[in-house]
Amino acid sequence: MSQSHRISGGLIDRTKPMHFSFNGKGMEGYAGDTLASALLANGQKLVGRSFKYHRPRGIFSAGPEEPNALVQLRTGAAQEPNTRATVAELFDGLIATSQNHRGSLEFDLLSIADLAAPFLGAGFYYKTFMWPKAFWEKLYEPMIRAAAGLGNLSMKEDPDTYDKGFLHCDFLIIGAGPSGLIAALTSARSGAQVILADEDFRFGGRLNSESFVIDGSASSDWAAQVVAELTTLPNVRLMTRTTIYGAYDHGVFGALERMTDHLKSSAGKPRQILWRIYSKRSLLCAGATERPIAFSNNDRPGIMLAGAVRSYVNRFSVVPGKNVTVFTNNDDGWRTASDLIAQGVNVRALIDVREGVNPPDLTGVEVIIGGLILDTAGRKALSSITLKNGRKISTDCLAVTGGWNPTVHLTCHQRGKPVWNEDILAFVPGGTLPAGMRVAGAANGVLGLSSIIKSTAETTIEILQDLSFKSKAAVLPVTEDEAQSCTAFWHVKESKKRAWVDLQNDVTVKDIKLSYQEGFRSVEHLKRYSTLGMATDQGKTSNIAGLAILAECSAKTIPETGTTIFRPPYTPVPIGALAGRARGKDFKPYRLTPSHLWAEANGATFVETGNWMRAQWFARAEEKGWRDSVDREVTMTRASVGICDVTTLGKIDIQGKDAAEFLNYIYTNAFLKLSVGKVRYGLMLREDGIAYDDGTTARLGENHFVMTTTTANAVLVFRKLEFARQCLWPNLDVHLISTTDGWAQFAVAGPNARNLLSKVVDAPLDLSNESFPFMACAELSVCGGTPARLFRISFSGELAYEIAVPARYGNSMMDVLMKAGAEFDAVPYGTEALGVMRIEKGHAAGNELNGQTTALNLGLGGFVSSKKDFIGKTLSQRAELNLPDAIRLVGFKAVNPSDALLAGSHFITKGEQTTMENDQGWMSSVAYSPTLGHSIGLGFIKRGHERLGEMVQMVNPAYGIEVEVEIVSPHFYDPDGVLQRG
Amino acid sequence: MAKFSLQPTPFLGGFQKDYGTVIIKEITDRAITSLALPLGFEAKAEKAIKTVLKLNLPEVGMSTQSKDGTTALLRLGKDQLFCLKNGENDGYTAHKALADKFGDNIYTTDQSDVWVSLTLSGPDSLRALERVCPIDLHPDRFGVGALARTAMEHLGTIIHRNSVAEYTLMSASSSAGSFLHAIKTSIDNVL
Amino acid sequence: MIIKHPLLGPRDAAEFVYLGDASMIDRPNPNAPDAKEQFYEYGYLRDNPAGEHKELWYHEQGDRSWLVVTRNTITHEVKYVQLARDVARAKGRDR
Repeated sequence: MSQSHRISGGLIDRTKPMHFSFNGKGMEGYAGDTLASALLANGQKLVGRSFKYHRPRGIFSAGPEEPNALVQLRTGAAQEPNTRATVAELFDGLIATSQNHRGSLEFDLLSIADLAAPFLGAGFYYKTFMWPKAFWEKLYEPMIRAAAGLGNLSMKEDPDTYDKGFLHCDFLIIGAGPSGLIAALTSARSGAQVILADEDFRFGGRLNSESFVIDGSASSDWAAQVVAELTTLPNVRLMTRTTIYGAYDHGVFGALERMTDHLKSSAGKPRQILWRIYSKRSLLCAGATERPIAFSNNDRPGIMLAGAVRSYVNRFSVVPGKNVTVFTNNDDGWRTASDLIAQGVNVRALIDVREGVNPPDLTGVEVIIGGLILDTAGRKALSSITLKNGRKISTDCLAVTGGWNPTVHLTCHQRGKPVWNEDILAFVPGGTLPAGMRVAGAANGVLGLSSIIKSTAETTIEILQDLSFKSKAAVLPVTEDEAQSCTAFWHVKESKKRAWVDLQNDVTVKDIKLSYQEGFRSVEHLKRYSTLGMATDQGKTSNIAGLAILAECSAKTIPETGTTIFRPPYTPVPIGALAGRARGKDFKPYRLTPSHLWAEANGATFVETGNWMRAQWFARAEEKGWRDSVDREVTMTRASVGICDVTTLGKIDIQGKDAAEFLNYIYTNAFLKLSVGKVRYGLMLREDGIAYDDGTTARLGENHFVMTTTTANAVLVFRKLEFARQCLWPNLDVHLISTTDGWAQFAVAGPNARNLLSKVVDAPLDLSNESFPFMACAELSVCGGTPARLFRISFSGELAYEIAVPARYGNSMMDVLMKAGAEFDAVPYGTEALGVMRIEKGHAAGNELNGQTTALNLGLGGFVSSKKDFIGKTLSQRAELNLPDAIRLVGFKAVNPSDALLAGSHFITKGEQTTMENDQGWMSSVAYSPTLGHSIGLGFIKRGHERLGEMVQMVNPAYGIEVEVEIVSPHFYDPDGVLQRG
Repeated sequence: MAKFSLQPTPFLGGFQKDYGTVIIKEITDRAITSLALPLGFEAKAEKAIKTVLKLNLPEVGMSTQSKDGTTALLRLGKDQLFCLKNGENDGYTAHKALADKFGDNIYTTDQSDVWVSLTLSGPDSLRALERVCPIDLHPDRFGVGALARTAMEHLGTIIHRNSVAEYTLMSASSSAGSFLHAIKTSIDNVL
Repeated sequence: MIIKHPLLGPRDAAEFVYLGDASMIDRPNPNAPDAKEQFYEYGYLRDNPAGEHKELWYHEQGDRSWLVVTRNTITHEVKYVQLARDVARAKGRDR
């Protein structure tokens, strides 16, 4: 199809033709076109079907407010539904399809819904389909969802990437129309850091769409000159294709910059960038949005906003029709007729609803004063209109205007409430604006180019003075104000048929009246019940008419009726942009242990623990499953020696003259008298008396301690210690710094641990039990001079040490330990074997310190000092936490050794029913013990310590499991601790 | 007994890459020692810093460095500083030497292996940093010597402008790979 | 939100961890005769005003300082920000 509706002039680049397709039909446009302007240039009027009734719809606007022309762009994984054709920039190779129809766009099978319209009024889904109840979920809802709606997702992973970023400025200018450009020019010359952002791909706003004259030249030329000057200034960042979609606290704005949406391929670069802009001041220059007038059958393709018609004619050099009629309630509508005439387009009539107005001389145009349109005709495109007096006028494009609404959206994002301005019959910004924000130009209710320029320049100078920038009033360009008079006229009351208010959601005048009748009288209720103002356009063209009709129903004024609140985002933001880089393996950062490379090379299977990747076990070729590996690691460790990377435990370096006193407040047990060169186990409570974390703390010097925390709580414990240091005991000389990542730490456990370590530690350290006993620690060197720390602590219950070297030596250290251990058959072990051995030994871990248990429950009552204050002391003494039948940590084994145990199961006293009332406690950790040859468990049961030897039922109703178990000591392995002290 | 010896592994294997307008380089020969000022004895500590390092105590969020560029002092907080010493392959020993000189006047902790350090230089560094760094790095507000501790892609990071054209980024060594990935992605995305 | 750190200047709230009511500084004296009652109130009863509120924020991705931020919970306006350690000392915490 040739560009049948293209005329000369405009801001398109005819040297760059662009081929695209719509519903498979090849078409051509030019660089500078939007998809909408290119479709119109090709005479394509029907572009989609409406949401509910599947009515034929065309292009209605020329901007982000578009309710109708939602299309699908691209194909395959890159397919994007619900894109407004009016803001989609044309590119060569663009593939677009219409949406929301079954069969072809021209013969949509679902348009039968239009015939059922009498049954589909406001809130129909709340009234119909109610019976039978079960049908809603299974039949009605899927049916409605299939019939109503918009485009389709590809259901494939988005092939594009997205990025985020941070920008800082003194002054953010939102919108680059006449107001924004004047504000940018004025502020840029003062030296302030300025960001000028506009959602369009060309700066200028309405200056590009109107036939204004500024300083004697076309307003679009003037805009281009201003942009050219701004481009040369290093303190100005010009951001086209950038929507400021949200105003947040303290001058923070959300912005979406479309980087490659106008290109055929993103070429590996981010498609869009979600910016967080920090501004000291901002100026909203978002302009205004035109609103239509409602009348019968006002939704046919070819009926569009008058300002949009001017945009297409003046900017895109496209005529939306060959015989255009204008319908207006204001002077601004007149300019549509004069602009069309200037471009040589036939104007059939100018119909003004007002009596007694005098439009300028429009040669050859019939002017109908006090005229009303009662109906329209044309199945897939407008063919004629019918006036009040019954006269039919044949026309293929109707330009409608009901006045202009300032685009106040961003002023509402921090509870600002727009106020009604009777002069311009529209809401203007009001109430509390977002911090640092001011509003200028049409967005502030100033209509008229000369007034916009003058008032914006004044406001900008005030802002710059407020920011202490020197600025002088710029020489303002010469232009004039257009005629702006408007009358309150929202819909043609004489209309007998459906008159559409919200085109996107198929809400009619009647729907609003019905909602009111049914009691939905507040604007917010009206919105939810009738769906007025919902979905992608958020009622940008429909809200005010909706309010006005609601006001009519209740015989109130519009300001009395109020307006709904606008929330971010101003226009839709793709989920992909909000996710940014956080996808797939980049969802979160990973932490690797120092011996990661060694573990990878030696068959480790890794498990995520928090952000850490830890070796879970090291499989050998002959092993059939993970249990084989874990059982072997446990057995070989207990038989000789095993090595495990335990770097992930939190390490906190604590120094200061008051460090010991500080620790005394933190732990339940005493630390004041811990000797230098010794390690002590410590238990922390929360202030409410519940156990929080545990670990060992070593005293390396009089004023120097090294605390270890559990892996999971490392960050939280550090935070808590800083809180104690700064807020609770602020006068203590104590200093904290994390050294978790600084030291590679390895547990060396098993009867040959000493023999192995003696091969790597340097003299003079003596590893004998006498000089380096259980719970000793030392700073030393290993392997001929590498600095190290050694702690004689045991989580496995074996003779064990933890040896630490600077992290850079960690991988090498693992290798050395394995080589030195070769003669003892040393084995590396992972987190599973670590877990099995700690259960065998009866040590509490995360499953037991689960935020519900006390020191008493854990059998750690002996670690709770009665002599000193510590966090959690007072409330741990509450009677409720010390009841005689409190749960106690004990061990469990199945009466039948072949029965497996299951963590999370509960305990029931034998002979009692499995009910909540009879619940005695729960199993917290289980493992198969290769050492004992059967499953073992740790768990909490009422008075457990007094019930050793009793048989109880382990029940798990969720899995239908019931196993008889015996209550035993939690210390399955070496209960007297002979080995670890040996 | 020195039958075995330990070999250091740089956290990023000594990574460096020249992108043309941005250059990233891992620093592998820098000792980092944290210095804590004892409560109530800050003046004494400040004097000790002057004596030992010949450097003045910088303001919080600023740094000072020796004329030869080998030593820098970064004030991270009211009572905490990092002393960076270049050309040191053994961080812990360098820390010990410093600790001995400071004695009781300052609490020291070796931080050399807690951090992975990268330098970022070249004219497009700032453009790349815009994609990860929430701090305002405009040269008027983040001049030479300025530093900030913040988060980049969820990773705690110290950013230090150590010269007109070069930034140092320090982040946890255990997540060095993720950190490098974040920086490389930022560069790839702007070039 | 932006928190104006008394030492570091304006920083994004994303760098901070929020704890809540600054009354958490006022840990009761464990030796008081009604210590249990006081700790119960300290632990469980917090004000949650619609309006001006003193709150504890921790600059975790920053200098690790705890701050007392006086903020309006309706408008999010931050009136002033103090180092919690200074506040705690001024309140007379003895150690």
